[in-house]
Amino acid sequence: MVLRLLKQAWPVLGLLLPLAVIVLLADQFGSISVERSVTEALIKIVTVVGLYIFIGNSGVVSFGHVSFMAIAAYATAWQTCCSALKPITMSGLPDFLRSHTYPVLPAGISAAILASIAAFVFGLILMRLSGIAASISTLAALFILNVVYSNWDKVTMGTASIVGLPTYVTPWLAFAVAGLAMVIAYLFQISSWGLALRATREDEVAARASGISVYWMRLAAFTLSGLVMGMAGVLHAHFLGTISVDTFFLSLTFITLTMLVVGGMRSLSGAVLGVVVISFVTDILRRMESGVSVSGQEIAIPAGSQEVVLAVVMLLVLIFRRDGLTKGREFAWPFARRQSISETKHGDA
Amino acid sequence: MLNFIQVLFDAAALGSLYALVALAIGLVFGIMRLINFAQGDYLTIGAYALVVPTASVTPPLLFGALPWPLMVAGVLATCIIVALLTERIAFRPLRNANPATLLISSFAVSYFIQHALMLVHTGRPKSIAMGSSLAQAIDIFGVRIPGVQLVTMTVTVSLLIGFVILLKKTAIGIQMRAAAENFQMARLLGVRANKVIAFGFALSGFLAGIVSLLLVAQTGTLDIKMGIMPVIFAFFATVIGGMGSLAGAALGGFLVGVTSVLLQAYLPPDLRAFRDAGVFALVILVLLVRPKGLIPSSASRERV
Amino acid sequence: MLAQDGGLHARDVHVAFGGLKALKGVDLKLRQGEVLGLIGPNGAGKTTMVNVLTGFQAATTGDVTLDGRSLKGLGPRNVARAGVARSFQAARLFRDLTVRQNLEVAAIGSGRKRKEARAKADALLDWIGCADKAAMLAGSLPYGDERRVGIARALALSPKFVLLDEPASGMNDQECDELMLLIAGIPDKFACGVLLIEHNMQVVMGACRRVHVLDNGKSLAEGTPAEMRANDEVRRAYLGSKNTGSQVI
Ligand SMILES: Nc1ncnc2c1ncn2[C@@H]1O[C@H](COP(=O)(O)OP(=O)(O)OP(=O)(O)O)[C@@H](O)[C@H]1O
Ligand SMILES: [Mg+2]
Repeated sequence: MVLRLLKQAWPVLGLLLPLAVIVLLADQFGSISVERSVTEALIKIVTVVGLYIFIGNSGVVSFGHVSFMAIAAYATAWQTCCSALKPITMSGLPDFLRSHTYPVLPAGISAAILASIAAFVFGLILMRLSGIAASISTLAALFILNVVYSNWDKVTMGTASIVGLPTYVTPWLAFAVAGLAMVIAYLFQISSWGLALRATREDEVAARASGISVYWMRLAAFTLSGLVMGMAGVLHAHFLGTISVDTFFLSLTFITLTMLVVGGMRSLSGAVLGVVVISFVTDILRRMESGVSVSGQEIAIPAGSQEVVLAVVMLLVLIFRRDGLTKGREFAWPFARRQSISETKHGDA
Repeated sequence: MLNFIQVLFDAAALGSLYALVALAIGLVFGIMRLINFAQGDYLTIGAYALVVPTASVTPPLLFGALPWPLMVAGVLATCIIVALLTERIAFRPLRNANPATLLISSFAVSYFIQHALMLVHTGRPKSIAMGSSLAQAIDIFGVRIPGVQLVTMTVTVSLLIGFVILLKKTAIGIQMRAAAENFQMARLLGVRANKVIAFGFALSGFLAGIVSLLLVAQTGTLDIKMGIMPVIFAFFATVIGGMGSLAGAALGGFLVGVTSVLLQAYLPPDLRAFRDAGVFALVILVLLVRPKGLIPSSASRERV
Repeated sequence: MLAQDGGLHARDVHVAFGGLKALKGVDLKLRQGEVLGLIGPNGAGKTTMVNVLTGFQAATTGDVTLDGRSLKGLGPRNVARAGVARSFQAARLFRDLTVRQNLEVAAIGSGRKRKEARAKADALLDWIGCADKAAMLAGSLPYGDERRVGIARALALSPKFVLLDEPASGMNDQECDELMLLIAGIPDKFACGVLLIEHNMQVVMGACRRVHVLDNGKSLAEGTPAEMRANDEVRRAYLGSKNTGSQVI
C-alpha cells in the first residue's frame, strides 16, 4: 500500500529528492552567490512548471504566460511595499492599497489568485482559437499587458522599477513552492481533465468526437497555469525586492520556453530538468562573462554570449532531439522489475 | 480637413510598410507553415549593414558610404544571404516539424540574431545620417508630406504590383502559389521543394532589405530591437488577413498600420499611450469573429 | 419524443463544398439494434454523410434527428454526448496516450467518473482482444489493432448509435473475419445501432442485414446485400468508378 502510493507519487518525488539535496548543499556549503543561483533556479522551476501545465498538456504554445507573473508581482507589490512612498508614486491605487500595507502571506496568495483570475478572463477569449491563431493571440495578450502596465503610470509607475519589496524568499521557501507547483501540475495531469486535455493535444478532432470540450479543458489548464505563474511572480518579486514591467516580457518568455523545450515539453520531468540544465549552463556562462582565472590568467567571454549560446542550444535540441531531453516521458520508478516505459507514463498506474 | 488628409497619408505609409513585412511572413508561412519571428531581425541586420561594427553611437558608415544604388544592393544582398542561411541551417532540418515547433525555432533564431548583433554592435541605439534629402517635406495642395512617405508608398505599390506579376506569370511564382495551396500535391506534381522554399526565403530577405532601408530613412536610427515591432504587427496582420493567403497578408498589414495611425491621431490624449494595446485587442477581436482570417486560404481547412 | 420516429434519421441532406455537391438529398434511417451497411464508390459522399450525422459538417439543407430530436447546430461534442459516436477513416487515435487511456478519454467524455471510465475501458479492451496491450502507447500499435481500438473508443461513449468509417481497410482476410463478427455483435452487446461504411463486401455481407448504396451524392438503392448485388444500377456505379474490381461486389 505504502509502496503503491510511493510509486504513484514517484514522478514528483523523484524530482523533489535530488532538488532537496541540491538546496541542502547550497544552504550548508554554498557561497551567497551559489545560494542565490539555486533560489533563482527554483523560482524558474515554478515558472516553467506553470508554463508546462498549459503548454505541455494542451500542445498549444503560449507566449503570454509571463504576463500573469507580472500581474501577481505587481499585485503583491501594491500590498506589501513602501508604505511611505506609495501614496505619492502610485497615487492611482485604490485607497485600501494606497494607505495600507498587508502581511506578505495573504498578499502573496491573493496576488497568485488574481493572476489566475486574469488568466481565466483572458482564456475565455483566447481559448476560442486554436493552433497558430491561439499562439499569436497569446503573444498579442503579452503585448497588451506590457503596454498597459508600462503606461499606467499612476498605478504601476510606468516602466520605472518599484523598489523596496520585503525580500523573504529563501532557498527553502522557493523549494517548498516549487514542490507545491509540481504537485499541482502532477495532480492536474493525472486527473480526468488533464487526460482529456492531453487527448485534445494528440488529436483535436477525435477528442471532440469523444465528447471532450476542447474549450473548457484548455480554459481550465490556462487558469490553473495562471495560478502557478502567479506564484512564480510573487516569488520573483520578493526574491529581488524590486520589479519592473520589462522583466516580464520577451526575454523571460524566451528563456522559460527554452527551458521547457530543452527538457521536453510533454512531461513534468522535462519541465524541471530543462530548468536545471539551462540554469546550470547560463550560470556558468554568466560567471565566465564576468571573468574567470585560468592558470593565473583572467579570461572573460564577451558579455551577451550567454544569450547567443542559449539560442544555439535551443536550436540544437529542436533539430536533433525534438521531444527534449526527457522525450516527453516521466521518470520511471527505478526499483521495479523491467517495466515498459509506457506503463509509468503520466502515472497511468 | 487638411489634417485629416495628412493623417491618411501617414496611415497609408505605415500601412504599406507593414504590408511589406506581412507579405514576407505570409510567403514563408504559405510554403512551409512557419511563422518567421526572425523576419524582423533580417531587417535589423540589413540596417546595421549600413555601418561599421563599433561600440560608437555615431558609427562610421559601411554600405551607407557607397553611392545609393550600391548601398541598396549591399543591404538587399545582406538580408537575402542571412535569410537563406537561416533557412539552410535552422529551418530546413525542421521542415516536417509541427507549426508550434517551427514557431519556437524561429523565436530562437530571432533571439540568436539579436544577441549576436549586440555582441558586435553593442546594445545602444545608434544614429546615422542618411537620406536627408528624403526627409524634406513636399507640399502638395497645402498638405505637407515627407519625401520618405512618398518614397515608401511608391516603392510598396510598385513592389506589390511586381509581386502579383511574379506570382501569376512566372514559373517559379506559380510553383510557389501551388506549394502554398497544397505542398504535398505540389511536390507530387514535380515542384522542387528546396528550390521553392529557398526562393521564398530569398524573397522574404529582399523585402526585409527594402523595409530596413525605408525605416532607416524615416528614423535615422539603428536599434537592435528595431525589427520587433514591425514583425509583431506583421504577425498579427498575417493572422487576421488569413494564414497562407498572400492577398490577406498584405491587406492585414495595411489595416493594422492604418488602424494604428488612426488610433494615434484620434484617441483622447490620455489614452494615446495605450494605442498599441488597442491594436492588439483588435487583432484578438478579429480572430474571434473570423478565426480563419479575413481572406481564408483553402489550405487552412482541415478535412475530417 | 415521438415513438414512431426512433433511431437516427437523416432527411433530404444536401452538402455543398463551394461548387462541389458532395451530397444531393440523401435520406437515411438507422434503427436501434441493426447494422446498416453504407456502401458506394470512392468519393460517393459516405464520409461526408457520417460527418453530417455527427455534427462535424453542417448540412446545407436537410435535417438529422435522433429519436425525434433535431441535432441541428449541436456540434461534434454534443452530438457525441447525445449518443452518436463515430470512428474515423484514418483511425485518429491519441497516439501519445496509452491504449487504455484512449478509451478512458471517450468514457470520460460521455460523463463517466474516472473509476467507471477505467472499468469501461478495460471491458472494451477485453472485448476487442487487446487487454494485453492496454499499457502500450496507441501510436505504437500495429495497423489492425489500431482500427479495433478506434471502434472500441467510439463504443466507450456508450452511444445509442455508432458510425464506423471503413474499419476494415488495410486488414488481411483473417482480421476482416474477426472484425465482422465483432461488428455483428455490437447491437446485442451494447444495445446500439451500427452504421458500417465498408468497401470490403465480405465484411458487409457478414455483418449487415440491410445495405444503403450511395453514388455521387445520391441514394441509389437500399435492401439486402443480395439484392444490392443483383441490382444493375449498383453494379454500374461500381464498375463505372475506378474502384479495384475483385473485392468490391
Ligand atoms: N472538406 C471538404 N472540402 C471540399 N471537398 C470535400 C470535403 N470533404 C469531402 N469533399 C469532397 O466530397 C466528395 C465526397 O467525399 P467523401 O469523403 O464523403 O467520399 P467517400 O464516399 O467517403 O469516399 P472514400 O470511399 O474515398 O472514403 C469528394 O469529391 C470529396 O473530394
Ligand atoms: Mg470516406
